[in-house]
Amino acid sequence: MTTRQITYLEAVREAMSLEMRENNDVFILGEDIGVYGGAFGVTRGMIEEFGPERVRNTPISEAAIAGAAIGSALTGMRPILELQFSDFITIAMDQMVNQAAKTRYMFGGKGKVPMVLRTPAGSGTGAAAQHSQSLEAWMAHIPGLKVVQPSTAYDVKGLLKAAIDDDNPVIFYEHKLLYRTTDDVPEESYKIELGKADIKREGTDVTIVATAIMVHKALEAASELEKEGISVEVVDPRTIVPLDKETIINSVKKTGRLIVVHEAVQRGGFGGEIVSVVAESEAFDYLDAPIKRLGGKAVPIPYNPTLEKAAIPQVPDIIEAVRETVKNK
Amino acid sequence: MAKEIFMPKLSSTMAVGTLLQWFKEEGETVEIGEPLFEIMTDKINIEVEAYDQGVLLKKYFDVDAEVPVNQIIGYIGQAGDKVPDSSPGMTGEEGTTEEKEEATVSEQQELIPTASHTQEGEKPRATPAARRIARTNNLELVFIDGSGPYGRVHKKDVIAHLEAKTSIPKATPLARKIAQTEKVELSSVTGSGVNGKIVKDDVVSAAVPKEAVALQEPATKRRKMSGMRKVIADRMAQSAYTAPHVTLTSEVEMTKVKELRAALLPVIEKQTGFRVSFTDILVKAVGAALVRHPQVNVSIDGDEIVQHSEINIGLAVSVQDGLMVPVIKDVVSKGLAELTIDAKDVGKRARENKLLPDQMRGSTFTVSNLGMYAVDAFTPIINQPESAILGVGRIQDKPVAINGMLEIRPMMTLSLSFDHRALDGAPAAAFLTELKQILENPFELLV
Repeated sequence: MTTRQITYLEAVREAMSLEMRENNDVFILGEDIGVYGGAFGVTRGMIEEFGPERVRNTPISEAAIAGAAIGSALTGMRPILELQFSDFITIAMDQMVNQAAKTRYMFGGKGKVPMVLRTPAGSGTGAAAQHSQSLEAWMAHIPGLKVVQPSTAYDVKGLLKAAIDDDNPVIFYEHKLLYRTTDDVPEESYKIELGKADIKREGTDVTIVATAIMVHKALEAASELEKEGISVEVVDPRTIVPLDKETIINSVKKTGRLIVVHEAVQRGGFGGEIVSVVAESEAFDYLDAPIKRLGGKAVPIPYNPTLEKAAIPQVPDIIEAVRETVKNK
Repeated sequence: MAKEIFMPKLSSTMAVGTLLQWFKEEGETVEIGEPLFEIMTDKINIEVEAYDQGVLLKKYFDVDAEVPVNQIIGYIGQAGDKVPDSSPGMTGEEGTTEEKEEATVSEQQELIPTASHTQEGEKPRATPAARRIARTNNLELVFIDGSGPYGRVHKKDVIAHLEAKTSIPKATPLARKIAQTEKVELSSVTGSGVNGKIVKDDVVSAAVPKEAVALQEPATKRRKMSGMRKVIADRMAQSAYTAPHVTLTSEVEMTKVKELRAALLPVIEKQTGFRVSFTDILVKAVGAALVRHPQVNVSIDGDEIVQHSEINIGLAVSVQDGLMVPVIKDVVSKGLAELTIDAKDVGKRARENKLLPDQMRGSTFTVSNLGMYAVDAFTPIINQPESAILGVGRIQDKPVAINGMLEIRPMMTLSLSFDHRALDGAPAAAFLTELKQILENPFELLV
């Protein structure tokens, strides 16, 4: 298997291109994804290879994009739609929640909706309150939708392949700040099963379950804490629906301590779900410190860059939380 | 919130109270109206009832402690309520500087999580992991020192406890507490509770043999002067050493008093159900004499002489292991029947230790009657802050010269001790003479 360093953004494009070369049912649609290459340039060059039939520019209507994708999926295609910013998923929500998520169930399996909704999430680009949110918990709440949050170029390629192959609608969250990160990525196609967490770093003193960009912040914190003799295990669930409970529970059983970190607003965030899973599990009896959650502050993401950083967990916050949690080791 | 228990002020002169006993241990539940502790004031033993219900959270003072009135001596509240480690001072105070400092300190202590045993009555704090290990090893978390915030027991604490293999006997917190105060080694006590858990009664019965050993000590016994004995000792010494006592004696012919008593006995008995005594008549006579000689009805307060407007007579009553002086108020306005009722009432209450606080204070002159014994005269010690006391001897038929003739008459000696700081010999003698005249001609009482 030949690997080379490519960016997260390139890995997303490569996953789509590989799949489109193999499977004529796969096509992509979205706003300005043609010659312009999409808001972040993910699809740049694809219209040249696959033509405007399979790389379709759409009107500025997320509801229409989602509706068209669902309709084509029901009639046998495997569409990948792109929303410029995940904040606009609210407009596509009726289609996704009341159609995409329900159809297969309501028709007793006679219809299926094999589609992927790709969309960049998160703050850090100075895009302010309406273009910086992390709303994955909303989608995770809906039975019938799968929710993926890749954190590395390697993961994003394998997970996107799995999402395209899945016969259910998958919400595929890409993080804006991760687009430029690089990783060793195999040239050929490969698949990372949905619902399989990855232990990004092994440790014995505390488990940090982190998603998306927070995986990287947690790893940075872990390196710092290693100097203090604190051994941190970083678990990346990679998909929050389905959630790999087993890996998380086993990790907590091993370390006896849990910190959950995500960028989304802590209140009502998916971290609460992860904490509950652990509290209800056999890992409960192994907990030797109160569980901590780190999440975004309950404020709209500020435009001011200093405040924008302060609104979400940063490396020093994670370090402090770990120190507090392992204090009575 | 925990409610204060404080030393009550039972009389105007009461400055301190001595704790005689606690009826409850820390951790026991208390109902409103239940006796909580017993105190001795300068005049009385009294059981103090609980004003609040809940759990006795804290006792700041032990038996025999002398505590200023209004000092907080404990707390009643709900299990788990926080109370200060030492008495925070007087009840109702806004707080002295010192107190405020203390409060700040304890607040800081709350902010900085402390490692300590589980607080009385609280469930132990422990992490799930610590609980699991304790459970599998049949360990009680209450006995494990927690190293976490607020004494939270962590996994490592349980493991350390296991490794130390300290076989701490199982006991209830109450039993543990009593064992500590009684200095009973818990490991030597056999528990009668569930799974051999040591309960209160086990410790109490284990503490008994120790007292038995004490009884076998040499014949000369010593016992601590406690409670009333101590109060009497202090007050008598204080009076004897501060007031220069002068005692005047005078023989009184009691023929007419005897006639009077004989005549009134059936009348008063019919009216009140009580038999009028010589003491009752004496009280009446003393009242009349004090009206005419108010200089005897005084107190010394610092460098002032307080002239009392009321005439309240204290009656010395012998009680078990001591002496009480209950008070009959305003004797001048009362008839003999009423005085008889009052005297019988306070006498009975004194002997049963049931005097009301109001029956213990305010006397301005005391009568001490030893007439039932073979005593003719004595030198009574003044019951301060009064300035005089009347000692009464027995009535005995004696030969006396009447108009040059030797006659046998019932005679009684009165001994008047007075505080020479407050009054001099002449007015005291005048008072005693007046009293003698009244008793020898009791019809004067009708005037």
